[in-house]
Amino acid sequence: MQDTVKTWLTEGTVDIFLGYKMVEGHPIPHGFSRNCLDEIDEMVTGPARYSLEKFATQLLQIHPEAKIGILARDCTQRALNVLTIWQQISPGQIKTLQVNCCPSPLGSNTDCSYLQPAETGTYKAAHGVDGSQSLQTLEQMPEEERFDRWMYEFQKCIKCYGCRNVCPMCFCRECSLENKDLVGNGHLPPDIPIFHLVRAVHMAGRCIDCGLCEEACPAEIPLRMLYRKINDMMGTLFDYHTGSSPDQSPFSLLGDKPSSGLPPMTAELSKNK
Amino acid sequence: MTNSYDDLEGAGCIFVIGSNTTACHPLIARRIYKAKERGAKLIVADPRGIQLSHMANVSVNHRMGSDVALLNGMMHVICKNGWQAADYINSRTENAEALFAVLDAYTPERVQAITGVKAGDIELMAETYAQNSPAALLYAMGITQHTTGVDNVKSCCNLAMLCGNVGVAGGGVNPLRGQNNVQGACDMGGLPNVFTGYQPVSDADANAKFSEAWGRPLPDKPGLTISDMVPAMLDGKIKALYVIGENPKLSDPDWNHFNHALNNLELLVAQDLFLSETAQVADVVFPAASVAEKNGTFTNSERRCARINKAIEPVGNALADWRIISRLATAMDYPMNYGSAGEIFEEMRALTPKSYAGMTYERLGINGLQWPCPDTEHPGTPYLHSEQFARGKGKFHAIEYQDPAEMPDADYPYFLTTGRVFAHYHTGTMTRVSKHLDHEAPFGYVDINPLDARNIKVGEGDPVVLSSRRGEMEVAVRLNEKLPPGSLFLPIHFGESAANLLTSSEALDPLAKIPEFKVSAVQVCRAS
Amino acid sequence: MECKFVPSVCSYCGTGCGILFQVVDGRLIGTLPMKTHPVNQGKLCIKGWNLHEHINSELRLKNPLIKTFGRFSRVNWDTAIRYTADRLQKIIKKHGPDSVGVLVSAKATNEENYLAQKFARAVIGTNNVDHCARL
Ligand code: SF4
Ligand code: SF4
Ligand code: SF4
Ligand code: SF4
Repeated sequence: MQDTVKTWLTEGTVDIFLGYKMVEGHPIPHGFSRNCLDEIDEMVTGPARYSLEKFATQLLQIHPEAKIGILARDCTQRALNVLTIWQQISPGQIKTLQVNCCPSPLGSNTDCSYLQPAETGTYKAAHGVDGSQSLQTLEQMPEEERFDRWMYEFQKCIKCYGCRNVCPMCFCRECSLENKDLVGNGHLPPDIPIFHLVRAVHMAGRCIDCGLCEEACPAEIPLRMLYRKINDMMGTLFDYHTGSSPDQSPFSLLGDKPSSGLPPMTAELSKNK
Repeated sequence: MTNSYDDLEGAGCIFVIGSNTTACHPLIARRIYKAKERGAKLIVADPRGIQLSHMANVSVNHRMGSDVALLNGMMHVICKNGWQAADYINSRTENAEALFAVLDAYTPERVQAITGVKAGDIELMAETYAQNSPAALLYAMGITQHTTGVDNVKSCCNLAMLCGNVGVAGGGVNPLRGQNNVQGACDMGGLPNVFTGYQPVSDADANAKFSEAWGRPLPDKPGLTISDMVPAMLDGKIKALYVIGENPKLSDPDWNHFNHALNNLELLVAQDLFLSETAQVADVVFPAASVAEKNGTFTNSERRCARINKAIEPVGNALADWRIISRLATAMDYPMNYGSAGEIFEEMRALTPKSYAGMTYERLGINGLQWPCPDTEHPGTPYLHSEQFARGKGKFHAIEYQDPAEMPDADYPYFLTTGRVFAHYHTGTMTRVSKHLDHEAPFGYVDINPLDARNIKVGEGDPVVLSSRRGEMEVAVRLNEKLPPGSLFLPIHFGESAANLLTSSEALDPLAKIPEFKVSAVQVCRAS
Repeated sequence: MECKFVPSVCSYCGTGCGILFQVVDGRLIGTLPMKTHPVNQGKLCIKGWNLHEHINSELRLKNPLIKTFGRFSRVNWDTAIRYTADRLQKIIKKHGPDSVGVLVSAKATNEENYLAQKFARAVIGTNNVDHCARL
């Protein structure tokens, strides 16, 4: 693996490679470059997981022409597919080195063992939404109880915006969560459930179920389950499987197909500057 | 904190008093959530309804400044039911009789009359705290910023010791520090009476040791606290003030009073990231480097000393605080030639035997170490007082309740309390320039119960005039039904509606000299 | 092209969360929670997530300032240090070391607080040193 990265960098296949480096016992994300090839010997693939695909998108905003290599798991591949569809990156700009740490076979959105929530406590089991439950179990609850359980979860929110900040799919330049007409500002908890539902709705056709948001949530709200439900609906209603391919646009249900010749948004933006 | 954050998750009960944890220490609130969901009981006592109140098993809104009465009331109930930890009290504490004697009079009925908390709730709080050991007590500025701040803290300790909760995992008395390195500033001797590691300046041995290390005879008489410096500035006894990284003009208890004091100085030197309210009136301003632009260490609320690392070059000609101080000292004929922050740390730890001596930059790594860490083999200390108390036996203090310095009256009928907003920090110099934080609260405001608002005929966003015996100001109203009628809440971050225009610099805790920011009497009326 | 992540500690509240500063080409572009940090385990509050914003603020002071006739003017470090040292020395000479007070910072590092109290005690010669954390 280290050798592949070295070859990519020396031969100019990529300009920078996003992976992890062990620093004093902590895996820290790092951009490996041609200038310090020695560092690559210290490269590791985990165990912690950061939003490398988000870093790649951010780098492309600064260097629209850059060629970037990244360590990719299943979720990373799905994320890159969606980012391509939404024209945040252009196909071929990001080269992946597959490290299939998840037990899930590439392409199917099954759970990553790494993401299994730690055992749920008694109080949460009785009053909240248990992230280790399946959607079906939850849906069998009476509607009122389900509502109460979600409201219990939402009222713990400390409005850190971590779920949005960490999400590779939250690339909007102006975020609705900070639109005062939709979500009031300045208090805790934020307006519930609207704060969480606004984001949930936006994740239709976008969330690739990487679980980073849930990992970043200080209140341990099972956010992923919420978005999974939405994407379940995308699947059953529209036969749209988010992240499964880099060509199927969510707008394809309208019958049109975007011309593939469009330049990516990032390149266009930098041209406008 | 006597205990660690990790420890909180193992508590049987968590009692939060005077801390709006989700707003001010959100990542500690997370530990409370986790403990609660595991099955721990949660008690929340706060004059305002706060976010944690909604999750609590027992939630009460006691009247501002009535903490001692509330805590004594709980202890009264505990003793009456025999829930106290008798063995622990016998073997590890002293002076319990004096406490018991005082507690007698704090019947739930009397405490209800003082605090406004129903007698039944007081009994429930006591039972929940005493019957779910280990119980951790958390407090913040809501306990300390009172004329009775020291009494409040001692009462918290009384309660914890009474139930055998000090020196056990999952228990403890845990003050949450408001600013990131309050713990470190105190540990490093940023106090008028002690050197690093709380070694008294008046102790002959300590003084001799530091005098030798620093190559100068050092003064052995304790100096002035900031609260005493202000009158000294007014009297002309203090002529020059060097303010490093602080904005006392906005944080001092009485704006007008403090302003006079600053004007009286011959020389005011300010060192900051921004031209803060204080820097604006300074004679010299030094531009300091930010946290991302230097190396060093911070010590957090759980006594964990951890390293910060330089990520970028300082902006413009800004310099790290330690470089500025070194240059100034050198210019004043005391050469300081440190090449790095690490060299300063080495000098410090050699002089701080009990707590920091065992820490080196290499050992600290990313995780840091919790003091006491007396030698380089020592793994650090997750919780204090596990075998015995620092002074041998834990001493109970018999504390009687006293009213706050100012109670509402006919002229100033409202209680005013001050505090923080979740998106801002301290005097706002750092957070108000941050776009995403500014979005949450761009201006100052005063929270008022909708019933009170109706009485004075104002609605959301309307301007009101707040006045106290010290001054007055105009500020916009925010309706908040979680605040009890008769009480107002004013955030401290906003220079244009500075809370310290109203608070008092004379109402100080006699020992700790902490001003009573949490209770003032004010009048509020519609702005004309 | 440079892209690195520098481990550090949040400088807002006393919790002390572990963060990563995201640096691209020498510019600070973001703050992230450190996943494996014992204090915050990969999470931050709104202040921590936006820590880089105040550092990048246009309003940062970039040069020493000296006030003459009520107005600030920019000076270089040598001038600012010399000026301050002279004025402090004059005041100490005339009114004694206890006519000076030093306020250290609950936001500065341990090293800087250590040095500030050393400055007060050894250089100026006073114990009039305190921090603002009571406030
Ligand atoms: S929450 Fe919605 S508006 Fe905000 S960044 Fe994400 S997708 Fe965009
Ligand atoms: S799981 Fe969360 S972080 Fe990942 S794509 Fe979905 S919403 Fe974004
Ligand atoms: S990460 Fe969790 S606490 Fe933070 S804003 Fe999102 S839901 Fe709220
Ligand atoms: S991220 Fe938030 S909770 Fe953590 S230290 Fe910073 S301000 Fe405190």
